[in-house]
Amino acid sequence: MKAIEIKGLTKRYKTKVAVDHMDLTVEEGELFSLLGVNGAGKTTTIRMLSCLSEPTEGEAHVLGFDVRTQPNEVKARIGISPQDTAVADNLTVRENLEFMAAVYGKHGTQAKEKVEEMIRIFRMEEVAHTRAKTLSGGWKRKLSIAMALIGAPKLLFLDEPTLGLDVLARRELWQAIEAMKGKITIVLTTHYMEEAEQLSDRIAILIDGRICAVGTLAEIEAISGQKGLENAFVEIAGKGRTIDA
Amino acid sequence: MHRLLAFTERNRKEILRDPLSYIFCLGFPLVMLIIMTLVDQSIPKEAGMTVFHIENLAGGILVFAQTFIMLFTAITVAKDRSGSFLIRMYATPMTSRDFIGGYILPMLLLYLIQALITVITAFIIALITKADLKISGLILGIVLGLPSAVLFIGFGLLAGTLFNEKAAPGMCSILISLGSFLGCIWFDADATGGVMLKICRCLPFYYCTKTVRAAMQLQFTGNAFWKPLAIVSICAVVILTLAILAFRRRMRADLA
Ligand SMILES: Nc1ncnc2c1ncn2[C@@H]1O[C@H](COP(=O)(O)OP(=O)(O)OP(=O)(O)O)[C@@H](O)[C@H]1O
Ligand SMILES: [Mg+2]
Repeated sequence: MKAIEIKGLTKRYKTKVAVDHMDLTVEEGELFSLLGVNGAGKTTTIRMLSCLSEPTEGEAHVLGFDVRTQPNEVKARIGISPQDTAVADNLTVRENLEFMAAVYGKHGTQAKEKVEEMIRIFRMEEVAHTRAKTLSGGWKRKLSIAMALIGAPKLLFLDEPTLGLDVLARRELWQAIEAMKGKITIVLTTHYMEEAEQLSDRIAILIDGRICAVGTLAEIEAISGQKGLENAFVEIAGKGRTIDA
Repeated sequence: MHRLLAFTERNRKEILRDPLSYIFCLGFPLVMLIIMTLVDQSIPKEAGMTVFHIENLAGGILVFAQTFIMLFTAITVAKDRSGSFLIRMYATPMTSRDFIGGYILPMLLLYLIQALITVITAFIIALITKADLKISGLILGIVLGLPSAVLFIGFGLLAGTLFNEKAAPGMCSILISLGSFLGCIWFDADATGGVMLKICRCLPFYYCTKTVRAAMQLQFTGNAFWKPLAIVSICAVVILTLAILAFRRRMRADLA
């Protein structure tokens, strides 16, 4: 079974086609990065795959389930860390995690263990009793990601997970992501080429809602004729822009 | 059910950690009871004003305080809708039932705490002013105030669903003014009669107060108690149903 299978997926808003007939397959256990300039359609794609937005056209299967007709099956198996950190402000870090654990049907000692595990993985011991609204942006983001993981999802969507993290926190998060690699499927969006280079098994570059290049780092480099992801990205995405203009 | 309770718990914490809830939902009935009792003491007996006598006042304040729970429900829901947290929750196994139940239950809990504070204060005032208020009546007042609590929570859920964070409190203040005035909390429409009474009778608020006052005074006659109770209950079911439908619709629209 494929983790994600997309055929002709399209999202049309009144004035804008955010995702345009996208075809894509993501293998199980893969770490897949979606790259693209602002407004390329990364978040919209993730929203459709996580049942937060109805596709206008096309088909998407997530873990074998149709996002249109089997949203409950999909939702029970995925985790999402949205681009805007989303936490319950008046709850402490631990309470936020306990709440999410309960939402995913974890109770008693099982829930406790899971909460402690997340606090350990993300090194949140010192802020465990801090209310979310007083956390710094970086801590909030870590909490938001931990909340996405606590349900032990088979597929995890990370929409710009390291936005606003300091260098050390970013490295820490990379380690945490690398530790999960292979165990679960991860779809990541980022504007940091270095991050995509280090973490991804495969990469797709989106321009105006269309996938313009997809493959391993080496394949992307070959397509663009450039060395390094940043150069390859500039070549591909930059061209797409000039063609459009 | 677990998810509903988890969301209830989250909302309970969010509400009880907001200092405003203590001021408005809990401190307010206490202060109003004391102030209005002092006002009552300074009204000459010959004036024949009885609304501020504690046996009438207690029921009125109990209902009036519910309007603040309405305001709180609206603010909680509107605030959640404006942020990214609720959207995120839409991608979890939470259903609309979990969301709606999770908003209503903590508000009912808030009502029970509020009502308890109200009746305890009223009981003490009744002891001091030697008024005829029985504990049994006060307890029944809390229980029979539930349909009206549900009605106001329904209004709050509706306002929080239909309006944004800025507009929802405004809409609620209109209902708070209407509710307190046409609910006959500050004057006795039955004694005034005329057009005023007719208008009051067209809206549910009048019956809310009437039910609770009758329950507190242990007057279980048809016109004083059963009829208003039936009207309040029906209105509560209707408004709550509308609120649930609106919330589901809004949720579907958010996911479009
Ligand atoms: N609800 C909406 N209504 C109308 N247009 C929208 C809506 N949501 C997104 N869009 C448009 O769709 C396009 C793709 O947006 P999307 O958020 O998917 O981009 P992105 O790749 O995630 O960008 P960024 O890197 O800035 O996060 C943008 O042009 C955006 O303006
Ligand atoms: Mg985005």
